[in-house]
Amino acid sequence: MSTASQQRRRPPPTCKPPKTKPPEANKREEEEEEVEDYMTMTFPDDPSQLTSLAAGGSGSIKETSLQRRQRLRREAEARSRPKSKAELAAEADARREAALSRSLFAAHPKSKGLAMMAKMGFKEGGALGKQQQQQQQQGLSSSPGQQPGGRGDDGAGSDGDAVEKGFGAGTGREEGSGGAGAAGGGGPRIEPIRLEIKDGREGIGLESERKRKIREAAEAAGERAKRAKEDEAGYRERMRREREEARLERQFVAAQRVAERMAGEREDAEVGEGNGGAAVSRPLKAISVVWRGLVRAREEAERDRRMRYDLEQGLARLPTYEDAEEDEDDRKALGKANTAYVTAEDLDEEDTELDEFNALPVDERLLKVVEYLRREYHYCFWCKFAYSDEQMEGCPGLTEEDHD
Amino acid sequence: MTESTKNLKRSSAEREGTQDSKRVKTNGDGVAKMDEKPNPYLAHYDEGFKSPLDDMERHKTTALQASKAEDSDNNPWTGRPHSQQYFKILKTRRDLPVHKQRQEFLDMYHSSQILVFVGETGSGKTTQIPQYVLYDELPHLTGKLIACTQPRRVAAMSVAQRVADELDVNLGEEVGYSIRFENKTGPKTLLKYMTDGQLLREAMHDHDMSRYGCIILDEAHERTLATDILMALLKQIAERRKDLKIIVMSATLDAQKFQTYFFNAPLLAVPGRTHPVEIFYTPEPERDYVEAAVRTVLQIHASEPEGDILLFLTGEEEIEDACRRISLEVDDMIRESDAGPMSVYPLYGTLPPHQQQRIFDKAPEPFRKGGRPGRKCIVATNIAETSLTIDGIVYVVDPGFSKQKIYNPRTRVESLLVSPISKASAQQRAGRAGRTRPGKCFRLYTEAAFKKELIEQTYPEILRSNLANTVLELKKLGVEDLVHFDLMDPPAPETMMRALEELNYLACLDDDGELTTLGSLASEFPLDPALAVMLISSPEFYCSNEILSITSLLSVPQIWVRPNNARKRADEMKQQFAHPDGDHLTLLNAYHAYKGVEQAGEDVKKWCHEHFLSYRHLSSADNVRAQLKRIMETHDIQLISTPFQNKEYYVNIRRALLAGFFMQVAMRESSGSKVYKTVKDDQLVMIHPGTAVTSPYDWVVYNEFVLTTKQYVRTVTNIRPEWLLEIAPNYYDIDTFEKGEIKNALIRISEKVRRRQAMKGGR
Repeated sequence: MSTASQQRRRPPPTCKPPKTKPPEANKREEEEEEVEDYMTMTFPDDPSQLTSLAAGGSGSIKETSLQRRQRLRREAEARSRPKSKAELAAEADARREAALSRSLFAAHPKSKGLAMMAKMGFKEGGALGKQQQQQQQQGLSSSPGQQPGGRGDDGAGSDGDAVEKGFGAGTGREEGSGGAGAAGGGGPRIEPIRLEIKDGREGIGLESERKRKIREAAEAAGERAKRAKEDEAGYRERMRREREEARLERQFVAAQRVAERMAGEREDAEVGEGNGGAAVSRPLKAISVVWRGLVRAREEAERDRRMRYDLEQGLARLPTYEDAEEDEDDRKALGKANTAYVTAEDLDEEDTELDEFNALPVDERLLKVVEYLRREYHYCFWCKFAYSDEQMEGCPGLTEEDHD
Repeated sequence: MTESTKNLKRSSAEREGTQDSKRVKTNGDGVAKMDEKPNPYLAHYDEGFKSPLDDMERHKTTALQASKAEDSDNNPWTGRPHSQQYFKILKTRRDLPVHKQRQEFLDMYHSSQILVFVGETGSGKTTQIPQYVLYDELPHLTGKLIACTQPRRVAAMSVAQRVADELDVNLGEEVGYSIRFENKTGPKTLLKYMTDGQLLREAMHDHDMSRYGCIILDEAHERTLATDILMALLKQIAERRKDLKIIVMSATLDAQKFQTYFFNAPLLAVPGRTHPVEIFYTPEPERDYVEAAVRTVLQIHASEPEGDILLFLTGEEEIEDACRRISLEVDDMIRESDAGPMSVYPLYGTLPPHQQQRIFDKAPEPFRKGGRPGRKCIVATNIAETSLTIDGIVYVVDPGFSKQKIYNPRTRVESLLVSPISKASAQQRAGRAGRTRPGKCFRLYTEAAFKKELIEQTYPEILRSNLANTVLELKKLGVEDLVHFDLMDPPAPETMMRALEELNYLACLDDDGELTTLGSLASEFPLDPALAVMLISSPEFYCSNEILSITSLLSVPQIWVRPNNARKRADEMKQQFAHPDGDHLTLLNAYHAYKGVEQAGEDVKKWCHEHFLSYRHLSSADNVRAQLKRIMETHDIQLISTPFQNKEYYVNIRRALLAGFFMQVAMRESSGSKVYKTVKDDQLVMIHPGTAVTSPYDWVVYNEFVLTTKQYVRTVTNIRPEWLLEIAPNYYDIDTFEKGEIKNALIRISEKVRRRQAMKGGR
């Protein structure tokens, strides 16, 4: 483009009014021009640029008849097509924003107004008003002690004497206080106040609220996009891990059940048939930590179920509520005589030991239960067999892999 | 009566033989008269010899002395006996919060040249402080007046009237006022209320303000353009004139800034009568603040105890709309849920005064005894924020917006835009609820939005205005170094540059920044420089009479009335006056018709009403015209007209418009388009729909550039581009234009002109 336009603007050195030239020469020259043009020619798609050239140039522009026709047609099209309201508004806004964001000093560096201000001692980038002069003066005379002096009067502002003194102190002092006043106002103004156009009747804060929501939505979308970006292998890996963990969890619960059952069997064997039927309450802490979680979870579930049941029975009070007015008979009549369930007495207590155990990864927990079973009952969770002695002959090992 | 007092004055002046014979009061010594036979006509005068003012020494008075003077049977200022009304008012005056601190005020006043006074609205500072000063300055002895400035014309007028009543004198005599285009003062005037702009204009001819002994700048917290300039000037003058006392009065507590600015002047604060106000925020931002405001008002009416409501909205249209909706909804509430009655009043600047007065009406009575209480609801612009005090307001609804003037030198658009208010403004609004008893303020935005989105203080006007007029005034005021002029909040440098540049193009300043003869003359007119220059150069176009009329019409609010319920008829009526070449000429037609009716002796008011014209604004335009005419005559500017039959009649007027407004020209983007482009600033604008121009022209001159959601030019007239090159060759120097359609168009035109001239020359 640049070469083409340069060529257009530059009058051909031999170009003279056609009258003075023999027609053949003129023709030849035109052909030359044509050839040259052909090599370097690009088709500008901005018609305005062409028109500006056409109007601004001095008639030396070479334009073929076809080009001309095309250009005129394009211009006419652009003119005849009415712009939509939205387009117009957008264009007007864009123009306004362009003008608003451009400093006048940059736009009109040769302005007479600026020259006048420069004569009064204004420097570009500075602000108007007195404090500027003061700063300059201070910079020159480098007397930092003056300003604190001027400010010191603030405290004594209500005192008449201090003010009189302020008047008498001469210009240096007054400038100090003037500077302090301007500093309180948030610094000198260099840029004009922004023009904010509000359309519609939206309340204060709605715009920023909406922006915040958009930003949050964008962030959330970004997060999701990031997750989706994980490659297939990663996905498979994750799925595999999740499935594995679920399987281990199931095995862990199963091992706990075995442990409980075996503990129960041993107890039964020890105590015999002595006091069988009644539910026994014993502290949870007495149970080995490896399967305490199972018991605790069951007890909690049981208690909740009972409580809910009792509430649904229509008694508008908690079952644990002790009514002083009820005597033994009442209680019997209401069916409260023997509380049918016994909870572990320390169910409500905190159990740090259990919490710590639960915090372990599932495979470790499983390993602990399996070890416990082997130690206490010579039972191998993987062989599903209780060996008779500590050696556990015939069991391939501690882990599941060993049993493959 | 007047004759006799006049004689008396003269005789007393002779007797006293003081330096201020012009302003002598009737309180002179009556000793000489004691022996004479009592003259019944001079009874009031004879008693005047005991005038308590005699014992008082200037700048050494006490509150007690002043009180005694006020209590005396005869008016110390006029010598006439006090009326009954006077004593009644005096009693209420003594109840004002500011009265308790009269002595304290005087002590400070005596000890300091400059004083900052803070008193909330309702403390009585605007009416009382100038009177306290009056009793201390004793201006009848020195001949130096007391001036009290007000930001608004209406305030200056109404306060002057009130103070005249309080002092028991006639308005325009001892107490007067002076506003643009109206001066109600006399040779006896001691205390003068005036707009801040008016004092500034006076200072142009009296750089030391030597007429005044004390200048009180009231409502300084509003930080109007003129007040800011006055403060900077007075700061300078205070150093030259040690005898000049200055009081800066503010209604808000940011007085610290004023103190430091005025050499750490002492501060006196008077508490207002305020009650606590509970503030409520909305939990969520509102989608439609008008809707939310209406809803809130109705909720208050339904569920809150007795008390009037004040709702702040931004403009006339919005206010009328809200009033209508509230009234309709309240009617429903009364029918359906036995709500109490509510009267709804709008309040905005362009409302006729008798309708503005209605806001002071009492709230309606309940429908039956013991029924739900009635209340009034006032829907107002921010004029109800500081300047007007309405008693009985208990609930304030604040959507957080107001219309604010804004100017940006980069696009040269000066417009009223709906913008969020400042925190200080919000506080002020809330305070309105606590005037009579503890109140509630409902803010229609969240607390977080209040903290984060609102600026601390409203920008002072000087940062939001075109400074062309101000710069011209300052030049006339003798301020040489505009760049380092000690303003409290100096504007952006670009604003100053634009102003200087514009004045240079208008030939009011030369290239060195010095005031030209034209500039000096233009500053004599209380008009924007463009209007003034247009008026001054109009004789060159043989139409100064017509341009004078147009200038006056452009200096008053819109004369066209377009009520919501009769828009179509109003437009039809306007069409009767329409001139195809533009709105300026349409205005002129309407004015000529108005004058015609007036001269025919018909009922002008009725005619205006029928033709949807504002009688108030037309007659004030007429008044403005008379004032401007006087100024023109004093400066020997000829008043001439082209004969109406001459076909150049309107052409001349259109050309004369350009002499002042050549910088406000727009060119149509392309034929068939409705979009125009402003010259040099390159902004896209449309012609305001209210125009009378029907056929679109390629070039128009416009009176103002308005920014709403769209960019409009208003009051436009068709011109021919050749005139631009001819009338304002400096501005239309083609080399200074940026590349673009306008430059191309101008080049084409200048070539056309050249060709035509060549043809003429060839012939």
